Amino acid sequence: MSELEPKPDRRRFSFRVARAFLITAAYAVFWLIIWFLTSTLLASFPEYQKLFSVIALGLLFFTFAIALAEGTIYKYILKIIRAFFLIAYLTYATNSGVLKVSFENLVFTVEFVPLLALMIVINLLEIAKGLLQAIEFAAHSPKD
Amino acid sequence: MRLTIKALGWTIILLWIFTLALPVSVAFSLMKLAEGRNLGIQEPTFMLSNGNISISMPIYVNNTGFYDISEAGVKIRIGKADKTIVTLYRDLPNIPAGQMVNTSCILTASLTDFFQKDCTLLTEDANLNVNAALHFRVAYAIAFNVAQNFSTRWGAPFHNLTYILAYDGATHTFSFSISFNNHAFFPLSGPFEIRLYNSSNYEIGKTSLYLDVPSGEFFQETVDVAVDPLGVTNRVLIRMFFADLHVLETEWILP
Repeated sequence: MSELEPKPDRRRFSFRVARAFLITAAYAVFWLIIWFLTSTLLASFPEYQKLFSVIALGLLFFTFAIALAEGTIYKYILKIIRAFFLIAYLTYATNSGVLKVSFENLVFTVEFVPLLALMIVINLLEIAKGLLQAIEFAAHSPKD
Repeated sequence: MRLTIKALGWTIILLWIFTLALPVSVAFSLMKLAEGRNLGIQEPTFMLSNGNISISMPIYVNNTGFYDISEAGVKIRIGKADKTIVTLYRDLPNIPAGQMVNTSCILTASLTDFFQKDCTLLTEDANLNVNAALHFRVAYAIAFNVAQNFSTRWGAPFHNLTYILAYDGATHTFSFSISFNNHAFFPLSGPFEIRLYNSSNYEIGKTSLYLDVPSGEFFQETVDVAVDPLGVTNRVLIRMFFADLHVLETEWILP
């Protein structure tokens, strides 16, 4: 190993991990508050607990990974993957925009397909933004 | 490119705010509508005219919410066991925000269609399954549907329809003593016809009488049917009709 070769900056990496961890912890608190606020209200929705766990853990994972990949092109790639994940999750979790709850003989249905379509459009815009950011990042990065 | 990214970022933020605020404001709007006496359904009235049964429910809605209510409608499906007998649907007018609408929800069904789907309903009491649903859309974006299933007792208009038949060979006359209970919630009024057929399915005689039986009343009457003496066979097919409805079909063997 030559002396000119840079040594791995372990301290910097540890700082980045700690920062990512703190950001994720802050988001975890936010999701916990959301859980407390909605668990009693939406408990009657089928598979609510499972679906909530999937979105909360999925987004916490992406928060951690994006914070860790700060300053690299992977940050934007992860943002694009997160948008795809959200499109798939929202379509599946909302049963394509039609939710049904039964209370004994009463069946209550909520249909919000236009709203779901809007959420998908937002995520498509997020993908477009991520792509543009990735291109811009690559254009401004120094070549080897 | 930076400007485009910034513009996209702001558009995304604004769209998320709108997307998340809309369901919350729709929920508040519905809560405002539900409080007080902003919504009322008066007791339904049943009417029978020209072979059609109509259910009329006066409804008033004072839309104190933030959004217009559109695509409102009432749908009632009546079935027996797993078979749908009749489906009634009625659109209600749009209710703009801040306005009060008084309307009457009138559901009409043809009794002929009703009994043609299940002719046993004419003569046998039954338990009917009713699915009543109310549908409406708020802010032209979020639709709600509330449906309730319940069971209701159907009273047959010709419940326990019985007849005593006698044949007078000398005058070639069939004498019918008909009786039944009108268990239906509506009065029976219309022509009742008895037709007789021989074993070759050839009509040998018929008679008709005008029924006017109030709801819950017992009916009994004797009628004579003169037949074509040449057409009479040992087996006689008796068919009874009320208006155009086939009430009963049975075979009778001459003693």
